[in-house]
Amino acid sequence: MTPETLAVLLEPLFPNTKITKLHLLAGGASKEAWLLDLEQNGQTLELIMRRAGGGAMNLEQLTLEQEFRVLEAAFAAGVTVPKPMAYLPNVLGREAFISERVRGEAVGRRVVSRPEFAPARAELPKRMAEELAKIHAVDTSSLEFLPNSGGVTGAKRSIARLYAELDNVNEPHPTIELALNWLSTHEPTSHGETLVHGDFRIGNLMLSQTNLTAVLDWEFAHLGDPAEDLAWTLIRAWRFGQDHLHLGGISELEPYLSRYNTLTNQNITLQTLHYWEIMGNVKWAVAALTQAKRHLDGLERSVELAVLGRLSAEMELEILYLLEANHAATS
Amino acid sequence: MQPRPNNPELATAVREFLETEIMPTITDARLKFRTLVAMNALSMLERSGLEEGFLQAEALALAGLLETDVKTMNSRVALDTEVLRLNTLLSSQIRSGVVPSGSVEVLRQIATNKLRVASPNYLKRYET
Repeated sequence: MTPETLAVLLEPLFPNTKITKLHLLAGGASKEAWLLDLEQNGQTLELIMRRAGGGAMNLEQLTLEQEFRVLEAAFAAGVTVPKPMAYLPNVLGREAFISERVRGEAVGRRVVSRPEFAPARAELPKRMAEELAKIHAVDTSSLEFLPNSGGVTGAKRSIARLYAELDNVNEPHPTIELALNWLSTHEPTSHGETLVHGDFRIGNLMLSQTNLTAVLDWEFAHLGDPAEDLAWTLIRAWRFGQDHLHLGGISELEPYLSRYNTLTNQNITLQTLHYWEIMGNVKWAVAALTQAKRHLDGLERSVELAVLGRLSAEMELEILYLLEANHAATS
Repeated sequence: MQPRPNNPELATAVREFLETEIMPTITDARLKFRTLVAMNALSMLERSGLEEGFLQAEALALAGLLETDVKTMNSRVALDTEVLRLNTLLSSQIRSGVVPSGSVEVLRQIATNKLRVASPNYLKRYET
């Protein structure tokens, strides 16, 4: 794509501007990210354009139009997100949207380990709780397309989905069966149905050296139990090697959980987080197997996806570790 | 009989080629990452010699949980078939709500052995 072809499409949305930079940052089967600079009255607008890729989408992934609308609702509710600027239904045959480009660092391994982010890490537990509290209060009445729990609790719906995805993998996985059996018989009190970001974790949070600057990657947003969102960042895969720090490799759980409960007037317990942490690991294990199957079925040939099938044993070991920790705690 | 290199040795040769001759020429970060993933896949094949012993142990442990006998496992194909049969049996038993006592311990040993082939460094994360 050249600046000239894009300029024609942008003219009605951003009049009297000139494209000064345009290049592909990351491309994938499902999505591309383009860096885009526009000059307007001597000022530069620093933007990102997300555009659909040519390949098959993941199940339950929102379309870019839907993701853009969720981003608008979150922005309006004061969630710290890149400002959504424009939705483009047809950029050379594929949909796209443009948002503000937020500066900072999002790469998980750097966020949890580099000394220069220590001040941001100190703020993060509290800031993550505040962002989740805002996300879970977003008015979803205009977001009628969001997948919901269909009249059952978020936990029951997650379990049903995971069984369906596991059956689709078409291999026996007794550890995952064991975990789904445990999740079915140990469901905690539901905390209602709210907007759930769906991928809220270190790696999808943009940081400056002192603070959180954006909550990114909204494509898995849905309606569900807010505890699901709260526990996703706990899972070992998202601690980026700092395994002893349960909250995303950056801190203990206490400051995060108590700040969230205070802000939302909820009473989500450590036991409930433990339940959803096991659910998260099962979800990640089944996702890894599903990704390997996408490769094997030829939907998206990729050595990365192929290797994920083997790496599902990491999540299995973690699930068994958590189930045993739970047994030790309750017996 | 194939002359050497055997399968793991062949995987080592390709991994070393990627590491010493291809990696230094790559400047694109994304491509670099994918090459590391490809090298990791080859290292799994290099460790695949461990698998047969692990599969034997898996069959015996699963049969013990299920209180059933193991079928003949006198060839690699028969071994693979038997391990698949026992995993399928245990999975459907758990799906029907019957969880044999001792499942967590047996499954943990099996997962650990899988990781000795697929991701031995991951196991170190449980040592502290």
